[in-house]
Amino acid sequence: MQFLERQETWNITYTHALGETASWFYVQLRDHAKIYGRRDAKTGRVLVPPRAFSDESLEPTTEWVEVGPGGQIEAFTMVYAQFQGLPEPPYAFGYVMLDGADTAIGGFFKGVDLTEPEKAAEQLAIGKRVMTHFDEQRKGDVLDFWFELDQS
Amino acid sequence: MFGHNQVGVIGVAIQPSISVGERSLEEILFDLTHESLTDAGVKIDEVDGIVVGANDQYDGRAISVMMASGAMGGVERDILSTPSAGEHAFVLGALRVATGQFATQLVAAWSPTEASSLAEVQRLAADPYYTRRLPIDENASHALQASVLEHSVPGLTDTAQAIVRKNREQGAAAYPDLPSNESNGSGVRNPWPLRDRMIAPPVTGCVGLILASEDFIRERGIADVAWIQGMGWATEPSFLGDRDLGTLPGLRAAAKQAYRHAGVDDPGSAFNVGEVADQTPYQELLAYEGLGVCDRESWATAATNGDFAAGGRMPINLSGGALSFNPVFCTGLIRIAEVANQIRRKAGSHQKPGAEWGVAHAASGFAMQYNTVAVFGRGRQEAQ
Amino acid sequence: MSTPRVGIIGIGQSVFQRRREDANYPDLVREATVLAMDDCDLSFEQIDAVVYSLSPDAMVGIGNAERLGVDAVGAKNKPFLRINTGGATGISSVAAAYYHIAAGACDTVLTAGADKVGECGDSQTVLNKIWDPTYERQLPLGTISMLAMSGVRYAHKYGMSEEDMARVVVKNRSHSARNPNAHLNKPTTIEEVMASRYIAWPIKLMDCCPQSSGGGAMVLASEKFIKQNNLDAVWITGVGHSSETYWMGDRMGRGQTADHADAHALAQSFKRCYQMAGITDPKMQVDVAELYSPFSNTEFHAIEAAGLAGLGESVSGMRDGEYELGGRIPVSPSGGTLCTNAIAVTAMIRVAEAALQVWNRAGDRQVPGAKVGIANGNGGDHQFFGTMVVEA
Repeated sequence: MQFLERQETWNITYTHALGETASWFYVQLRDHAKIYGRRDAKTGRVLVPPRAFSDESLEPTTEWVEVGPGGQIEAFTMVYAQFQGLPEPPYAFGYVMLDGADTAIGGFFKGVDLTEPEKAAEQLAIGKRVMTHFDEQRKGDVLDFWFELDQS
Repeated sequence: MFGHNQVGVIGVAIQPSISVGERSLEEILFDLTHESLTDAGVKIDEVDGIVVGANDQYDGRAISVMMASGAMGGVERDILSTPSAGEHAFVLGALRVATGQFATQLVAAWSPTEASSLAEVQRLAADPYYTRRLPIDENASHALQASVLEHSVPGLTDTAQAIVRKNREQGAAAYPDLPSNESNGSGVRNPWPLRDRMIAPPVTGCVGLILASEDFIRERGIADVAWIQGMGWATEPSFLGDRDLGTLPGLRAAAKQAYRHAGVDDPGSAFNVGEVADQTPYQELLAYEGLGVCDRESWATAATNGDFAAGGRMPINLSGGALSFNPVFCTGLIRIAEVANQIRRKAGSHQKPGAEWGVAHAASGFAMQYNTVAVFGRGRQEAQ
Repeated sequence: MSTPRVGIIGIGQSVFQRRREDANYPDLVREATVLAMDDCDLSFEQIDAVVYSLSPDAMVGIGNAERLGVDAVGAKNKPFLRINTGGATGISSVAAAYYHIAAGACDTVLTAGADKVGECGDSQTVLNKIWDPTYERQLPLGTISMLAMSGVRYAHKYGMSEEDMARVVVKNRSHSARNPNAHLNKPTTIEEVMASRYIAWPIKLMDCCPQSSGGGAMVLASEKFIKQNNLDAVWITGVGHSSETYWMGDRMGRGQTADHADAHALAQSFKRCYQMAGITDPKMQVDVAELYSPFSNTEFHAIEAAGLAGLGESVSGMRDGEYELGGRIPVSPSGGTLCTNAIAVTAMIRVAEAALQVWNRAGDRQVPGAKVGIANGNGGDHQFFGTMVVEA
């Protein structure tokens, strides 16, 4: 018995509205290379990336707070496998709590030799200080910046 | 009564047409949640659980309930999603309260217009084995159904046109501030035999309801309650070719279930008001028949006499229905919310005076595959 | 709780494999459904309603694929709805079926589903789309990297090593070798796991679940129906759900309620279902656990969230063999999610396996004398958690 197969591709483009909060954040990032968070008045936490509301208090956030560019690693991984549609390995990415923020924002880690995972993992430890680096050509996207280990 | 415990709708928020681009979907749902809570007069801390009808393909997000959860108070709360239909969120929410294990539920559905093509989104639901290579989207399936009905009931086009006029007039009166949809887009022609205006262009919309238990309602002394007297839901088979598109046995089954619980013997005279699926006017006609309020032999006369128009014996779709405002994926839950508001006497400019009993019908999928019926009444039922 | 009891009367599951060229998607749903119906010896006419279990549609490549499954589950003209809470979908579907009966609306409910994860090409492509398009989808996030970061935080907090992770794989593979339905069922060694290649640090290939194809189904019934028809059953005595924030970065930093190292809402969900079941000391009262752990490291925080060990203490328990068959509280005697993951039904299989255990029907993987079993499912980006207690 011959088993047949058929290939189908889903091809739909979605244009997602970002809303006022994310729009303002991305304009600051694009035009001024600055990162801002929003404060949850009830918990006092500065949410980065900024949200219009806190999912914990279910209240609107109340003020803009500039954060970074320094910060510390909260989570990381180095990826060594190729996944369809994702970048070519190896690469390192994770989450950083920027100075002045209480939550962590995702981004790539660059400038670390990933050839030997164990050695790379020693450099990219939780709590390590990093510095945000901004692309010269910014589009208003989280990929406009990345993190490198703080050499100072 | 459909379960061990009585369940009432105590809060409703309906946004049948939202202007796009200003708020993210999360922000729209955050506002909807607050509006629903405010209408019910409860705080999020008093919400025991959440059920949403979140559809990945419409939203452009895999596991779309993930995005919705935080905006709806999902953090540290029990939230489930019924992607099969917005109205199924109501069914599951009501079942959860009826168990006695939950005092309240927030129920919601929404429908964005962020996809490059809604037709393409819907075509993904055609099975890839036999059907996907055919140009079938929901509108095409509704057209197939309409053509079967046209064949079964000669001269039906005029009746269908009358339904369109009725619902659009009612929609303009119900939501005078919302933009009306003059035609079906820029010269886009509907699939035959659907005429111009027989499907309203898709818009962004959302709807939320707060359900509560009898005990909660009594303890709070909440007065304006739409008690769920009966509820039924059923599906037609998978393949269009296995169905007689001109009849809806699934709707019959759902209505029977709802009427049994509600103790409705004569649906033709039981209700003061109704809201039914009307992606096309033919759907509304099928709903009349499936709900037992008007057989196909009487469709034309009923339309001429205005039986189901404002001021008629049983006004249907006083909100204007989906023929006026068409947030596709949540039009079903909006029908339910509209009837609940009628019974709560909170329907505003389109309130049917003195509405005591109402029926809501929702349909989803190709050619109305899923049918849901909810019967609401102002009075609490005596325990059986 | 005055609510009448709800029992499990039928269970069906496929022999899970990587691919099933011989069966299309609805065929797989049918396969499990028929097995469950045969198991309880009911006819489709006796089923009042169906709850359909399906996580992201994109995984099977069919939008609202439950519509295509209607025929497979015999739901024509019957109450039917679908649940999706991501990886938790299977247990959420059992919970939804439970609510149909506990509400008094139905006496018998079938819940069923299937997955063909391999057919989407690469599940991580689909799963990247679970992240928010505003801030996070641009990053190369997938469920593996997401839980790798949980592992990094867990190791940082409690001192889990990669050998400890490998120990979980060795244990679960020794279990799955006794389970004829398991997908990966070859016993392995710590050395073999440690020698497998890195996927996303610290997760290696053998720390990962497979992409499985197969179906699962269960039939639930009211106590009244079970007694009237003299049926054999085990009972669902606790049901719970809870959720965490969508934003992984909010589970880090300062002042977070939930930490991404742990499984805060899973613990909360277990608390809810334990309270309902009257379980006050899970370490003493639970005989067997089927925990949802798609990657070896996540079994540690799952054991802790279930109250079977204190925070950070499951690592030493694993070293001492407490969670092996024959140990103090066997965890995932089926081999668990680590050995079989047909996403749409994986969490249902957790409930089914816990039920088989307390039913004394678990074959070579039976925990002798098990009377109280627990199960859970996790969905989203470690966001939705469903839990259940099943008793003989």
